[in-house]
Amino acid sequence: MITAGIDMGLEYVKAVILKDGKVIGRGRGHSGGAARAANAEAAYDGALKSAGIAAGDIQKVVSTGIGKHDVTFAGACRTESVTAVKAARFLCPDATTVVDAGADETLISTIKDDGNPGEVAINQKCAAGIGLFLNYMADRLELSLEEMSAAAPAPAECRVSDGCVPFAELDALSLLNHDAAPAEIAGAVTLSAAARAASTINDITVPNLRSVVLCGGLAKNKAFVKALETLTDIAFHIPEDAEYAGAIGAALIAAS
Amino acid sequence: MTKEYGKWPESGWSSETIDWKKAKRVAAGIDIGTTSTQAAILCDGELFSYASVRNGASFKKAAASALSGAMGSTGLSQKDIHASAATGFGRKHAPFAGTLLDEVHCHAKGARFLFGPEVRTVVDMGAQSVKAIRLYDWDRVRDFMMNDKCATGFGRNVEIICDLLDVPITEIGAKSLEVDSEPEPVSTTCFTFALTETLGLFGEPEFRAAPLTLNEVYASYLFSVAWRVLGVVGKLQPLDVGDIKVYKELAFTGGLAKNPGITKRIESELQVTALESKYDPMLAGAIGAAILA
Repeated sequence: MITAGIDMGLEYVKAVILKDGKVIGRGRGHSGGAARAANAEAAYDGALKSAGIAAGDIQKVVSTGIGKHDVTFAGACRTESVTAVKAARFLCPDATTVVDAGADETLISTIKDDGNPGEVAINQKCAAGIGLFLNYMADRLELSLEEMSAAAPAPAECRVSDGCVPFAELDALSLLNHDAAPAEIAGAVTLSAAARAASTINDITVPNLRSVVLCGGLAKNKAFVKALETLTDIAFHIPEDAEYAGAIGAALIAAS
Repeated sequence: MTKEYGKWPESGWSSETIDWKKAKRVAAGIDIGTTSTQAAILCDGELFSYASVRNGASFKKAAASALSGAMGSTGLSQKDIHASAATGFGRKHAPFAGTLLDEVHCHAKGARFLFGPEVRTVVDMGAQSVKAIRLYDWDRVRDFMMNDKCATGFGRNVEIICDLLDVPITEIGAKSLEVDSEPEPVSTTCFTFALTETLGLFGEPEFRAAPLTLNEVYASYLFSVAWRVLGVVGKLQPLDVGDIKVYKELAFTGGLAKNPGITKRIESELQVTALESKYDPMLAGAIGAAILA
């Protein structure tokens, strides 16, 4: 059986093709505004191309993510917590909890023995937008995303607010104004983002700190992951397809 | 991001009619904001040249490139400038500036230069902050107000929305006005709220009769920004209590002044028509600094 999953996030749309329990194609693009439906199709086409199959071979398409309703060609849509849990179990069979940290949302869900979501927590509205924030701070600090990912923990005197993005951005600009090094500010904003994600994670009781899967775009940011691990004592499993987890979960649901 | 939609293009200009060599006094002003930097050079009180550049990780670099941009190919060099002053968030990063000035007086001076001496209210809408300034008939600031820290990030967040929605910042304002009726604004409290809510306006109309058009989404967002600006303006001391005419001579400065989606909405709420200038309203701070230098 061949199915497809589309994850329309705040910033990027991800598509995967799943054939008999194996990911055979991936596609990715900018989500956008007016052209969201077209961008979803472009990501889907990319995934089809990388899988080397035609759209006619796909039996079912399921969408997820904040813009799941914009994927006009999807047969069904599923909420993010469900797809994250399905993907976590698929990518890491003994996972008991999944954390999805993306451009806008941080989500944590325990996974019941039957593979369904248990306890779910999503960031408070004030703590939204951490992935997007790190992206545009990189742009402002003239650092590549790789350099952001390699940012060392900032010294104690270089800190920004971990309350919300507007405060953190102002604090970062003040640090810049006081001649702090861009790399140190990168460490400071990463720590503030991790602190906000950690507060969401702390909303629930994690059953096993050694079997937590981290997915979403921020899983690729090593500095963020390290700061989050220090704050929560969790040792994360980060699958290779972390960024595509939502789409994989959707494709798995399409297949079941 | 594949393409950038949210940034105003950098610009520069120099007068063809003024010869700086004949000027008795050449003054330079530089306004180093959080996100962009403008430099302006005045010859005997006339605008001779300007440049506007985008800030990167270094305020110093932005300041130097704005000044050299304003001097451009005019042959003018730093030693020919008789007086210079810096203002804005990063003002201390202009080592060539003789004086450091506060933003309020610079914007007041600059607005009267750009929009005429009749200006009584100046609303400066920058990338991070909004300042509303009320002036006396004569050359003095009567009152000013700044936004609360929570409401920070005015222009910057419009840029982010433009990048996320793939709409050029030069067009979002005009497009947002092409709506039949004004939709309800998204959160008028915080930009993080507003962003999440705006992105949630797409898709299935679960809570409304019909889905919002894209222009309505822009309108909903820009209305919330305009509402926040109005909150700052409303806290100013009125000139003549009980008289709506107080707002009449109003000038918008800063980057958001170029966004009709914001300015038109403020104008219609205050029932005034803002003054217009032939120059870029982003220059007010730099010109004001040059005058005060």
